[in-house]
Amino acid sequence: MVKSATPKNIVFYADDDADDLELVQEAFDRYTNNVEVITAKDGVQAMSYLQSLNEQTPTPCLIILDINMPLLNGKDVLRRIKELQPLASVPVVLFSTSSSPLDKEFAKKYNAGFVTKPLDVSQMEIITELFIDHCSDEIKRSIRKHIK
Amino acid sequence: MRLSEFDLLSCEKQLTILYQQGVYIGKRKVDEFTRLLFQLESFYVEITYISYRLSIHKVSYCESTSILDPYLEQIDVKYLVT
Repeated sequence: MVKSATPKNIVFYADDDADDLELVQEAFDRYTNNVEVITAKDGVQAMSYLQSLNEQTPTPCLIILDINMPLLNGKDVLRRIKELQPLASVPVVLFSTSSSPLDKEFAKKYNAGFVTKPLDVSQMEIITELFIDHCSDEIKRSIRKHIK
Repeated sequence: MRLSEFDLLSCEKQLTILYQQGVYIGKRKVDEFTRLLFQLESFYVEITYISYRLSIHKVSYCESTSILDPYLEQIDVKYLVT
């Protein structure tokens, strides 16, 4: 688990692929004044972090989950999040390398977004905006102000 | 879409179709290159990156399942054997 010091809008991202973790963290770099990305390397680590949140720790404004993760996959994590208060209302996006209609249907069933991982980094800026679009209007405004 | 039809498309169009319809199979690293393998209907497409998701070196495709071999070799089956 990697966590930086300053509390901001928290985006929580779980993915077992180190390259993709780095890619998403870099994509949020331009929002670094307003966003802190906290990461986990698998579903178990993700659940451990999310279950440890309390009144003293800021709740993420967005949770991004890779689908194919060891130990506990992103779909299982999504299912569990939706049973956890107050996380059930936090927007979640499944972030996958495939565009499987079944996975999209699953995301829809659990009121989550679905975004396919880019083949090319040039798509990443658009994808980051798609992530932010899943946040509440207030959070969106907060994230998009003072872009680096 | 058939392989022969895919072959006629520009690289940009191939990547768009792969992004929209490709089913991810695996990732592997060979020397300084990173490769991602996708299935697109009845054939396979492999993207080779010089720098992962940053710079595409080549896009290759075939119908032979032999392209799966190096990806299958990476799978650790010891946890599946009792």
